[in-house]
Amino acid sequence: MQEVISVQQLKKSYGELRAIENINLSVTRGMTFGLLGANGAGKSTTIECILGTKKADSGKISVLGMNPVSDRKKLFEKVGVQFQETNYQEQITVAELCDVTASLYRSPASPDDLLKRFGIEEKKKNIVKDLSGGQRQRLFIVLALIPNPEVVFLDELTTGLDAKARREVWTILSDLKKKGLTIFLTSHFMDEVERLCDQICILKKGKIVFYGTVAEAVKSSPYDKFEEAYLWYTDEEKQFDEESCTIQ
Amino acid sequence: MNRVKTTKTSGITKTFTTMLKTELKLSLRGMDMFIFAICMPVVVLVILGIIYGNKPAFEGAEYTFLEQSFGALTTISICAGGVMGLPLVVSDYRGRGILKRYKVTPVSPMLILIVQVTIYTIYAVVSLILLYLMATLFFGFRFYGSPVDFAGGYLLVLVSMFSIGMMVGGIARNTKIAGVIASVLYFPMLIFSGATLPYEVMPAGLQKIADILPLTQGIKLLKAASLGQSVENMLVPLIIMCMIAFICILVSAKCFKWE
Repeated sequence: MQEVISVQQLKKSYGELRAIENINLSVTRGMTFGLLGANGAGKSTTIECILGTKKADSGKISVLGMNPVSDRKKLFEKVGVQFQETNYQEQITVAELCDVTASLYRSPASPDDLLKRFGIEEKKKNIVKDLSGGQRQRLFIVLALIPNPEVVFLDELTTGLDAKARREVWTILSDLKKKGLTIFLTSHFMDEVERLCDQICILKKGKIVFYGTVAEAVKSSPYDKFEEAYLWYTDEEKQFDEESCTIQ
Repeated sequence: MNRVKTTKTSGITKTFTTMLKTELKLSLRGMDMFIFAICMPVVVLVILGIIYGNKPAFEGAEYTFLEQSFGALTTISICAGGVMGLPLVVSDYRGRGILKRYKVTPVSPMLILIVQVTIYTIYAVVSLILLYLMATLFFGFRFYGSPVDFAGGYLLVLVSMFSIGMMVGGIARNTKIAGVIASVLYFPMLIFSGATLPYEVMPAGLQKIADILPLTQGIKLLKAASLGQSVENMLVPLIIMCMIAFICILVSAKCFKWE
């Protein structure tokens, strides 16, 4: 199995605050990998260090065998990214945003084909901010796919969507997965993770508290449902109990 | 090797053209730069033309009041784009994470800044041409000086004003702060540096205050160049403008915040 993303001993602090430490990840080709954890657990910091938009204090990172900082221009021809925040110009239309994005890459996919495939072709002339939440997320998937990527990073893609729109996005991601795309995602919805992810990593206060498959996560917890298992792993109380147990 | 280089260059050209086209459309959709950088200089020209007509600049002057003011009018657009437009768009694009998004593409976020500088240069040049045509056609304007001197002075004013804008946009914490700083710089310069209200009609006390503003010095250069006056006593304004450009570019390069 070819390793697409490899992270070893990643560490990053903001001043005194240790945001993440001792993070080790390995994502192989075709895998959908979920990075989970509460807000502030270090998910975004981890993604940004992997992408090179934040500088890690120490650790080894490679994506598609390349260094995200020094090989930036070459690497990002093959990587699609969707950040959590909305990062487009206030008055830009769907077609304009797609054209500009396509112009950044040497051999981009046709935005028109992608828009058609994701059912938002008729919205081309609309201003992006006027789209519905579901349409906008579909557009962001289109943008992440324009480079014809080998791997995509999707940060909280479905946050803020209603149940129906979330299901639509799932179907799209499942299809992409079937086509062999490597997907690295973060999410707060455990039903989504259960359905999409081959492997997960749960972060708590910047450290890995679980790494493996969803089934394994359930098995090594006292619960039968993944959501409850997840809460058990990330529970603040639990660590406290464990610590007091050790002291005794 | 050669072939790789060619595709790369054409790639960047394609990116630049697409971005320029889109950003220009977005800028025109916003209307404010069209009003402040294109319409406003023309309005001021017409007002000065109507008030002073073809009167000589002062008794016995060989040039008209309007000819004396032409250099100043051409800086209105530079000032609007450089000191108002540029800081706002740069801080807005950073606030929206647009600059950061370019960091995860093969293209440097620097390119979108170059595109913005190009757009405001286009506004300024369009305004210059429009002013020249209108002044010549309707108010009997004649250009006495050396076009080369004028072009040089114009470029220097443009670079120094844009570098102020890039510095403000690059280091202001958010769009709101950038907007406040831009207004504090823009409005006094627009009114008191002689760009709109002619320096010559100001009382001596106000002229002293005006002399502190960097644009006042730039306008002196352009005035001398357009009237064909000797460039020798322009050394002080020239040095001041170069210093401003140098310092602001240095600060922008060192302290620019991409996110």
